[in-house]
Amino acid sequence: MADFQNIIDTLIEGDQEKLLSLAQSALDEGISAKEILEKGLMAGMDIVGEKMEAEDMFIPEVLMCARAMTAVINNLLKPLLAAGDVSAAGKVIIGTVKGDLHDIGKNLVAMMLESAGFEVYNLGADILPDKYVEEIKDKNADILCMSALLTTTMPMMKVTIDAVSEAGLRDQVKVMIGGAPVSQDFAEQIGADGYASDAGSAIRLAKEIMKR
Amino acid sequence: MTKICSNQYAMNSPHAQKLSDDQSQKLYWACLEILEHTGVRMYEQEALDLLKKAGAVVTDGNRVRIPSGLVEKAFSTVPKSVTLCDRNGNPAIRAGGYRSYFGTGSDCLHILDHRTGEYRDSVLQDIVEGITLCDALEHIDFAMCMFLPSDVQQDIADRYQMEAMLNNTTKPVIFVTTEFSGAVDAVKMAEIVAGGERELKQNPFTACYINVTTGLRHNKEALQKLLYLSDKGIPLTYIPSAQGGVTAPVTVAATMAVNNAGVLAGLVLSQLKREGAPYIFPGWGGNMLDMKTTVQPYCDPEKRAQAIDFAHYLGMPSFSLAGCSESKLVDQQAAAEAALSLFTDALFGGNLVHDVGYLESGLCGSLPQLVICDEILSWLEAFMKGVDVSDESLALDIIDEVGPDGQHINSDHTLKNYKKRWYPQLFERASYNVWQRKGSKDLGQRATEHVDTILAEHKVEPLPKDVANAVHAIVEKPTA
Ligand code: B12
Repeated sequence: MADFQNIIDTLIEGDQEKLLSLAQSALDEGISAKEILEKGLMAGMDIVGEKMEAEDMFIPEVLMCARAMTAVINNLLKPLLAAGDVSAAGKVIIGTVKGDLHDIGKNLVAMMLESAGFEVYNLGADILPDKYVEEIKDKNADILCMSALLTTTMPMMKVTIDAVSEAGLRDQVKVMIGGAPVSQDFAEQIGADGYASDAGSAIRLAKEIMKR
Repeated sequence: MTKICSNQYAMNSPHAQKLSDDQSQKLYWACLEILEHTGVRMYEQEALDLLKKAGAVVTDGNRVRIPSGLVEKAFSTVPKSVTLCDRNGNPAIRAGGYRSYFGTGSDCLHILDHRTGEYRDSVLQDIVEGITLCDALEHIDFAMCMFLPSDVQQDIADRYQMEAMLNNTTKPVIFVTTEFSGAVDAVKMAEIVAGGERELKQNPFTACYINVTTGLRHNKEALQKLLYLSDKGIPLTYIPSAQGGVTAPVTVAATMAVNNAGVLAGLVLSQLKREGAPYIFPGWGGNMLDMKTTVQPYCDPEKRAQAIDFAHYLGMPSFSLAGCSESKLVDQQAAAEAALSLFTDALFGGNLVHDVGYLESGLCGSLPQLVICDEILSWLEAFMKGVDVSDESLALDIIDEVGPDGQHINSDHTLKNYKKRWYPQLFERASYNVWQRKGSKDLGQRATEHVDTILAEHKVEPLPKDVANAVHAIVEKPTA
């Protein structure tokens, strides 16, 4: 019987060296890479997410856990996993809308989504609607994430959604929005699929949206 | 009788310092090294041209390395004190040295409605009432717009804000605009009120607050505003806002070095554009991101004071921030954070201290909170006065005359002097019974009533009708 609890605890501590050696011993014991991934690493990251939302963990610690997990996947598990076992949770295009340079929150959301297993393409700030459209096409994205911190740039979210619709891509991508002035009401008004007020709930929302 | 007494020294006020001059010097050298060695990106062609012509090295299209000599030269032409007038052109604020003046912040998305207690999006009328309150409150020296008006056309909301400030206070106003065109229009409005371009330049009653992405990345709008206003001779703040742990290293010193390198770069540009252009330094340094909540805290103790010290070291006026809170309510936390931050800035001598009355880390405002801050400032004004230990104030003759057994309550000396002591307006001192008789109200309730009284009674000196109309015409026809 593999000691998944030990793997989980070590992941939460963010101890990359120890995590690598625990995963290696589990593999040596004959436990499948898929099982290690699901019952150990993913289970651990779920707890990390919960702890973060409960303000029980600091962001740099969360990112360290994610880094440890990625190291195990890339160095040990990947060659052993069947295609499909480790497919990304979803492909995300993220950027701050045209006219807006606030990117700190957006970058945090991008990093958190990445650590939750999403494949994230971070376009930067001050992004034109056409650029989003181009990238959605190019990357075959599942989710479009937009950030705005200014009341004056919030309307660009609607303009961008319209551009996505015009390009015939609206059925392909779900749209998530956020930023201090943005609200659930506003999301509904402009026809976005979801709104989250912080990085923690953004992850939950993204996972939930992928299941819709 | 001759009254000569040699070697007298009086402390005129309490005073504090956090950075030694040696530390400030080290920080200054660090900024110079960043400018010369690492360089900054500038996203505006005119800025690049000016710097290149002056001897800076531009590589990679827009990465500028600025020699220290240019910074030193800029210090020889920039004014060390900035005078802001009132709307009628009379000097009202002399920002520099250790003189502190206080004012509100700008652009809160929400208001805690003092009439209903509701938390809601703010509207234009909230700005009108907030600025009227600023006009009335004795310890508020300048006004910023406080709120965002959600009920006007959003892309020109800043024009409505400027108009509301000009109409509702004679105190100096500091404006913020998103786009460059908004700053152009704000200046146009101010020029109309001042009676012309030259009049405004000579007796500026307004200044512009400019934020810059980080000390190492200067966005186009910020540079456009900097160059335009410097040319016009209108005072401005130039405040890069790198956040420790995210867009700068997490230590206070490193974040300050990155941001102040940017402040110095802005200073050089302003003086290259026009020697003698007024320029104001930031008075807080070392922003952080709270790594648990991802909020950028306004009342963080560790970002306070050292930037004021640094500005003093360089002999420059500072624009700092206090009277603000992370609290969502007008509660104990809000009062404590407001008082602590106002206290530090007064003690260290920040010059233009803004954001008074902010809640929710800059996202919400409250009129009663502003009134409470006014009371705190009144307390601080009394506290910051030095003690008069003179023959007259010692009153030895009266002590002797009344002796151990007499009373002072009905003496001429008391009658003559008791009003010189400080009395609160809102802080309650009465006995329990009297407080009960007055309705057992807490500070928040008393402040709320005070807001209503002021709004009902205070009459703002209006702008002449034709001037107000001309200002409004800009709102109707904004610069594209
Ligand atoms: C830091 C800051 C800046 C920095 C930005 C640096 C950078 N690289 O991003 C600088 C100094 C450059 C700046 C500039 C300006 N700013 Co500013 N800024 C702020 C401040 C203080 C904090 C923002 C922040 O980074 N917070 C920390 C991050 C982590 O939080 P966050 O962005 O909210 O993100 C979280 C959530 O919202 C959510 N989220 C965010 N994006 C997304 C996206 C998705 C898809 C999801 C699901 C969730 C999500 O998750 C994030 C993590 O938990 C806010 C005040 C505030 N309390 O918000 C003002 C504020 C936003 N700024 C304001 C203003 C006015 C400006 C300027 C116009 C000032 C000026 N004239 O110079 C300029 C505008 C420049 C431009 N064109 O964009 C106003 C906004 C007013 C308005 N009209 O709406 C505010 C509210 C301050 C105020 N009261 O005056 N600013």
